Amino acid sequence: MRKFMFLFIAAILLATVAYATDSQIWGNMRLTNILEYGKENSLHLGPLFVKLQSQYFYKIFFGILIGVPFVFFLHYLIVGPKVFSHGGVKIYAFSAFKRIIHLFAVIAFVIIVPTGLMIVFGKYLGGGTIIEYARHLHGLATILFTISVIPMFLFWFKDMLPTSDDIKWMFILGGYLSKEIKEIPAGKFNAGQKMWFWVATLGGIVMIITGAFMYLQDFDYGIAKLFGISQIDLLRATAITHNVLAFVVMALFFTHIYMSLFAIKGAVHSIITGYKEEEEVKYLHSTWYKKLKKEKKI
Amino acid sequence: MNYARMKFYCDEERCIECNGCTVACAEAHELPVGISRRKVVTLNEGIFGKEFSTSVACMHCTDAPCEQVCPVDCFYIREDGIVLHDKEKCIGCGYCLYACPFGAPQFPRDGAFGTKGVMDKCTMCAGGPEETNSAKERELYGQNRIAEGKVPICAAMCSTKALIVGDEQEVSKIYRKRVASRGKGVQGAPYGWDKAYK
Repeated sequence: MRKFMFLFIAAILLATVAYATDSQIWGNMRLTNILEYGKENSLHLGPLFVKLQSQYFYKIFFGILIGVPFVFFLHYLIVGPKVFSHGGVKIYAFSAFKRIIHLFAVIAFVIIVPTGLMIVFGKYLGGGTIIEYARHLHGLATILFTISVIPMFLFWFKDMLPTSDDIKWMFILGGYLSKEIKEIPAGKFNAGQKMWFWVATLGGIVMIITGAFMYLQDFDYGIAKLFGISQIDLLRATAITHNVLAFVVMALFFTHIYMSLFAIKGAVHSIITGYKEEEEVKYLHSTWYKKLKKEKKI
Repeated sequence: MNYARMKFYCDEERCIECNGCTVACAEAHELPVGISRRKVVTLNEGIFGKEFSTSVACMHCTDAPCEQVCPVDCFYIREDGIVLHDKEKCIGCGYCLYACPFGAPQFPRDGAFGTKGVMDKCTMCAGGPEETNSAKERELYGQNRIAEGKVPICAAMCSTKALIVGDEQEVSKIYRKRVASRGKGVQGAPYGWDKAYK
């Protein structure tokens, strides 16, 4: 038993030593990382990251956090929600599998976005253990998102490809600026939903990868070499990408919540029960409605 | 009143790459394996006449970039210019490492599942925000030699006195004297050093 324990401890210690020598940051690579800082003909990512992180990122996050909900609040007051009859025929839109996968993404996002914001505004929350746990939770919830993002990407991919309806939809902004209820050009998903889909899936995958880089920090998968930059510069580029993409994901996530919960009254039920209201489909997804009619599915 | 600003300076004409400073630092502060607050690096290795070694740790920069990017504001700069941080505030995000021109912040893998823990760096042997010379301060940050009126261990043991530390006025006075006596200056410190001595 003692011998086993000894071997176990020795293995751990050796792993640590191997780890220290293989370091992409503090070992022999440290010099490369140092020389990369703001050197002429370098990418100047160090000074750029310092400038963005110290002066811009938290202000932009604050602007989105306050601004986007405020705009929607005004929209709710001025234009108001679209209300459709919930008593009519129902159209089956989302299978149980899709709804469960979507639920995984819901749980992941509900954890990831607030914990991410906690890290951004850590200094106003005092830092320390709470924020450190927020950072760990931010990473753990990513596992759930990773599980959901791939099937979600695959089963909605075809429906999310751009069509001519999307251009028309964009010109009238989906009809959300008027109270009038009329047929809006859109298939099963409208241009807004498609935008969110691409940002959440492709953007989400980029977020997962960049987040993993920052989480692992000291690794060598040949990625930095592939770009011909130092490990630290890779991490700097990663941090900038993660933050900038977070602006877009966060803004569209808020939009997604507002649309499903408030802008179209009761629209959220479709992802819970799987059924959409006929009237809702008829007006907001007119092309899909006509297609279903033609196929005699309604 | 002009406060003293504490700075390190490593004279590359004198540094013999003995790595004594690295060992002294690790031993004095009982650093775990894999953490080296101070490291000797060799630049232009193999290029005749241009090769030189220098000792790098936290350079206690004026307008320290790490302090600017920290999302939890765990850094604080003492009146004498020593840049310190609060390990109980730090969340181990790694942003300071991205901001640092010297690769000074270190992250021990001590979290659950080997995740990176809170940051560790050179304190210029000045401890941290805990009570001076308390057991907790020693545990988290290592010795507080400055409070005892001693020179930071790395500079104290430097055999060639390449590594000097103190008020920047004094440091530059010593350095100027050395340059005058040997008749030539530095070979041109690598980019990023101007961040430290702004």
